[in-house]
Amino acid sequence: MIEERIKELTQQIVQRFKDSGYDVNAKEVEKRLKLLILEFKVPESEAKRTITNYLLKELDIPRESLITESELVKVADITKPNQWVSLKVKVVQLWDSNSPSISQVGLVGDETGTIKFVIWAKADKDPVEEGKCYLFKNVVTDSFAGRMQINVNKNSEISEIDEEITLPPREIEVVGALISIQQNSGLIRRCKTCNRVMSKGVCPIHGKVEGYDDLRIKGVIDDGENVYEVVLNEQNIKNLTGIGLKEAKEIAEEFLDRTAVLAELKKRLLGKYFKLVGDRGERYLIVKNIEFLRIDVKKEVEKLINSLEA
Amino acid sequence: MTTFRRREVARRIFATEFNKATHKLQDDEERSPVYVLTPLGLRCNRVFVVGALLEKEEVRPDSGIWRIRVSDPTGVFLGFVGRYQPEALESLLEIEPPELVAIAAKVRVFEGDRTMVFLRPENIAVVTSDVRDYWVVETAKATIGRIENFEKGDDDDVKLARQIYSVDLNEYRNAVKQALLTIMESFVEPEEIEEEIEEEETEEEEIEDLDLEFEFEEEEWDLSDLLKEE
Ligand SMILES: [Zn+2]
Repeated sequence: MIEERIKELTQQIVQRFKDSGYDVNAKEVEKRLKLLILEFKVPESEAKRTITNYLLKELDIPRESLITESELVKVADITKPNQWVSLKVKVVQLWDSNSPSISQVGLVGDETGTIKFVIWAKADKDPVEEGKCYLFKNVVTDSFAGRMQINVNKNSEISEIDEEITLPPREIEVVGALISIQQNSGLIRRCKTCNRVMSKGVCPIHGKVEGYDDLRIKGVIDDGENVYEVVLNEQNIKNLTGIGLKEAKEIAEEFLDRTAVLAELKKRLLGKYFKLVGDRGERYLIVKNIEFLRIDVKKEVEKLINSLEA
Repeated sequence: MTTFRRREVARRIFATEFNKATHKLQDDEERSPVYVLTPLGLRCNRVFVVGALLEKEEVRPDSGIWRIRVSDPTGVFLGFVGRYQPEALESLLEIEPPELVAIAAKVRVFEGDRTMVFLRPENIAVVTSDVRDYWVVETAKATIGRIENFEKGDDDDVKLARQIYSVDLNEYRNAVKQALLTIMESFVEPEEIEEEIEEEETEEEEIEDLDLEFEFEEEEWDLSDLLKEE
């Protein structure tokens, strides 16, 4: 077992020098690793560093010319594509992939959030498992359809770690104002085959097909510190406004205009405060329960005035 | 390749702090968002404001650009709505001032003879007084938080604000308190209100004074660039 690990570490050191344009003697590296790890019981990371330093000195290579190992970052720090990063994450979900070029795809996360990951088939990695924690080393950030993701390629390394990573709680409570309602809200039509929202009778996947009516709101709840993109379903909307699918259709018929439903919902909901509980998804907060904010303003005001006078 | 950017938070800020902001912040990177730095060291690109829409007026006949004034208990926000904000424009045309409104807006900076900040609304909605009351509470809390942060003074944006503005924290404490007291008034028993009428009148005068501060010749500006989406 340990012999195999030493071969792996040897490979990593040799590869790092190779990537930087230098050939080093693998046998020599392996011999030194064995000495440090097996004989002297030096921790792996120390052994690696010591040998790297030795080789730099021996070959007279300036340290700057060696490709640095990518920085360890948190999920929330990832905001730009094409960056090499490393991160410690838990595999939250594995998704089905029918693309032969992708070996695994899904969601990983740390305490700051979750992000989509793709392991390319060409990367030739052992599969990861849901619920386990890993160090994803030297992965590349990318943006796809406006969202960030990380790609695992052949220069990346994935190793299981013996650390428990806690994800932010999925269910959260938010108090904030609904400051935006997207145009594709209100009385919408969904594709009968895939349930995607159709635009002008056309499903983005299935083209011109039959659809069915649904009521939803995509919007933004903002509490002055954080932004939550929310999705309200028919039941949420009905609880708040009394307008369900049936009533929405009546409004559309009365005005001979489906967008009249959106106008009515905006009138009732936009710019108002809500208290809601929802599950944090990759992008949207899926609302379970939402109500208009009711609060004892007088008490709050008194408290604040007292704090100012203190 | 485009960089993915998080949606900017809509900050809660009273007019008195907002209108004193003159410092623009922008990274060198192309298309990076513009922020204003307020005297209390808040970096803001978007705000959520609830107040009384006092006036709407077309800047020039048929210009399609409307100037609005929205008052909170501490002062007046100036805003411009044009054809690049169809959602805001549509609702604005239906609203007759005075009316209580909630506005989500981008912050814009006009740099002329003097630097001015104004709102570029994304949407405008008519609301009831309970929404306004809660907004004042929320905004008071946020402002108190900034005052405390300013006193500590170790935040980079606070350090910068200290260099740029001469700040009298008591001015902001008083503004917050004043705002809270006006909300308190709506909870006072009817007979007590009569005694306070006089005080309310003086307050209206103050607001008029603030209005005067905003007199300027928009006709000479080309606002179209400032109103465009970035
Ligand atoms: Zn479909």
